[in-house]
Amino acid sequence: MATSTQAPRQAVTPTSRRDQARRALPWLLGLVALLGALGLQSQLYSGQERTVTTIFMFVAMAEAWNLIGGFAGYASFGQVVFFGLGGYFTAVAMSQWHLTFWVSLVLSGIVGALFATVIGIPLLRLRGHYFAIATLGVAEGMREVVINLPGLTGGGAGITVPTVGRDATTPYLGNDGFYLLFLALAALSVLIAGLVSRSKFGYGLRAIHQDEDAAAAMGINTTRLKVLTFALSGFIVGLVGSSYAFQQVTIFPERLFDVDITVLMVIMVVIGGSGTVLGPLLGAVVLQFVSEFLRQHFINLHIFILGAIIIVAVLLLPQGAVNYLREARRTGEYSLLANVRRYRL
Amino acid sequence: MTSFLQATAYGLLQGGLLALVAVGFSLVWGVMNVINVAQGAFVVLGAYVGWEMHEWIGLDPFLGMFVSAAALFVLGYAVQRFLINLVVNGPIFITLLLTFGLDLLLVQGMNIVFSADYRGIRTSYASNSLTLGSIRVPVGRLLAFALAVAVTLLLVAFVNRTRTGISIMATGMDRGAARLMGIRARHVYALTYAIAAALAGMAGAMIGTVGTFNPSAAGGFTLMSFVVAVLGGLGNMYGALVGGLVIGLVEAWSGQYLPGTWVYALAFLVLIVVLVVRPTGLVGRAYYTGRQDV
Amino acid sequence: MSAPILQTQDLGRRFGGLRAVADVSFAVPEGQVLGIIGPNGAGKSTLINLITGHVKPSGGRVLIDGRDMTGAPPWAVAQAGVARTFQIVKPFRGMSVRENVAIGILYRRHGVNVMSHALRAADEVLEEVGIADLGDRPPGELPVADARRLELAKALALRPRLLLLDEVMAGLRHSEIEPSLQLIRTLRERGITIIVVEHVMKAIVAVSDRILVLHQGQVLTSGAPREVLTDRRVIEAYLGQRYAQRRGETPDAPG
Repeated sequence: MATSTQAPRQAVTPTSRRDQARRALPWLLGLVALLGALGLQSQLYSGQERTVTTIFMFVAMAEAWNLIGGFAGYASFGQVVFFGLGGYFTAVAMSQWHLTFWVSLVLSGIVGALFATVIGIPLLRLRGHYFAIATLGVAEGMREVVINLPGLTGGGAGITVPTVGRDATTPYLGNDGFYLLFLALAALSVLIAGLVSRSKFGYGLRAIHQDEDAAAAMGINTTRLKVLTFALSGFIVGLVGSSYAFQQVTIFPERLFDVDITVLMVIMVVIGGSGTVLGPLLGAVVLQFVSEFLRQHFINLHIFILGAIIIVAVLLLPQGAVNYLREARRTGEYSLLANVRRYRL
Repeated sequence: MTSFLQATAYGLLQGGLLALVAVGFSLVWGVMNVINVAQGAFVVLGAYVGWEMHEWIGLDPFLGMFVSAAALFVLGYAVQRFLINLVVNGPIFITLLLTFGLDLLLVQGMNIVFSADYRGIRTSYASNSLTLGSIRVPVGRLLAFALAVAVTLLLVAFVNRTRTGISIMATGMDRGAARLMGIRARHVYALTYAIAAALAGMAGAMIGTVGTFNPSAAGGFTLMSFVVAVLGGLGNMYGALVGGLVIGLVEAWSGQYLPGTWVYALAFLVLIVVLVVRPTGLVGRAYYTGRQDV
Repeated sequence: MSAPILQTQDLGRRFGGLRAVADVSFAVPEGQVLGIIGPNGAGKSTLINLITGHVKPSGGRVLIDGRDMTGAPPWAVAQAGVARTFQIVKPFRGMSVRENVAIGILYRRHGVNVMSHALRAADEVLEEVGIADLGDRPPGELPVADARRLELAKALALRPRLLLLDEVMAGLRHSEIEPSLQLIRTLRERGITIIVVEHVMKAIVAVSDRILVLHQGQVLTSGAPREVLTDRRVIEAYLGQRYAQRRGETPDAPG
């Protein structure tokens, strides 16, 4: 197997106060970022607010993908299926069963986790690219299933969440409300990633990623850990999808099960730094900013330029920005050109 | 009964073309562990080259396809040699992202240069039909099918009988050993990708004659390549042929007998079941499960 | 009398038409050091994999402490107190040496739950095998002998009652073999049952109570080391019939 994308980590035995401070620092920074984001809201125009809301949405999903794809090393290319299931479940629950959004939200998360468990048990036995393709197949297949059940889901014509009138079970949250909702989801996702990263669970995942046979030989129940992680990521993405459905009011299968959403998630994690907590966050923020900027200034060319940027980023920083910086600091080797040779044939 | 035979005939004809589209994809994945997300884009690009040749110099598309093949061969070689080779040692989703970026670039580039209008390459004879018993077989489709199968079989022969072909297979099985024997892996990789691109382009030109195309069709071709390649077994070219025919038939039959667009859901279900039950594909052994990469 | 710590009954595994291991039955009482030898391809590593659950048997049974663990997954076997080393070492390359060992401390039966405690305990294990000063290094940097010690440390982190060592001496220099043997003796004094799969004859003779000989997947013979090594069938298996005919006496131990 090719070299791991992670730099060897320094051992952490925090006995001194300095070490304790060092460990608390990321949480502190996270809190500061959260407060900053809350404060930012009043400074933004509604258009900007919506853009930042989308950033939060992708931060949440990228961190969730990182759990299964970055820590455990099982690159799921069908992650959008949880997004779509969460969204459709909420839409159906609110329009046909008249549940409130908040109840639907929680149930959508649970639906995501359950579905992940069900498909995870057979699929997580596959390694590498087979797992990627199989999950992609599940996502694409689920879209087709949704399209072909118009009685339940409205099929290709989409489904609408009732937000006005008698049928509306929950008042529409509006730009401000959704900003806070997605911020909460992003914070939750980052929090979970942070907790997992430092825990026994997280180390177990890394062991599975770096050598699954050795991990099993050392007492790690690889099946249980993999399925649990997959379910966790499915839960989070389900929550995000549910919120998206409410926000968009009317949703369509092509959008809710769009493979591009998965690919965007993956790119964000890879460019930011797979297997880290900061990486997906950074990747999501930067990529969304760049994408928005390009969309506004180069209306015709923006996707073209985005493609070029992706190519350049993957060539220069294949292990992601955060991993690159950590390793560079450790070895003193900062040259990007040297970095290009890392995975070169 | 006639409609069943008609659907079968169409399915086979379409399947042959699908096989040609997918065989290069399968080869690249099997030999180099590269998933070429831009495969569909190469197909559509080949179609546009064929279209341009037809527009400018009136070149018959069944000759123009050779121009497509040549152009895409050069493009493919450059892409592999100077881009993909830089990351090919990394985890698989790195190359995946790279080819994804490439796909974005190519599809949007084509949108800009050619616009999103649907086009088709119309020749006078292509729409004529032969009648075999009770089935109608359009000449264009028949020609495309025959050529696609012929080229695929030629590829199999190339890979098994020629020195270059064998070195491609050897590099795929054990890159370290191949290099020790003097095989220049960078060049072999570039050659492999170039062949895959060339075949995709050729298929594209032929597809241009039997239907319409535009840049957004690229994604569908890539997806079909995935399914066919997995069904047939990665790197197994006979498998790609079989897989293509199977998918062509599945498409045709379910279009005939199933309501709506269940056909795609079915295709994905088949894909997942095959992966879980028999990841080496329907046909034969996987050549590349014991990889040693140096 | 308590059950042997490990017992196999007619254990076998086929790969297609090839019978890698067939009808292997033996028992290891607690505290014994059992050596397993056999020419290349005899099925030694497959046998280990069958016991540890990395390969599922085609037939037969594996009993650990009298409990049927046939086909149990590797983590269940590890938690039952059985640890192994891999012939080609498999460290976790993205973690430090210390963290590698800490994984075993976290995930063994009655394992620790806090990483910092595990890291401290890991240092003790590193001390035992003699690489205490390499705790912060990445495993990729280690020379062969130290990499083997890390592999052993990872196994010891599980506090095993049964230890399976798969060719731990291969590729070591003369000067490195004796310390390794000493380590095995020390572990044995602590009461750990050890199965040593080995090619290096002088090592296995020096340390085993009993030797089991595998040939073409089956048990050829077993018994005290000197007995086994002068057994004509064993000599034939390793060196061929004509050699065995020409030399009636113990061959010079190679290496």
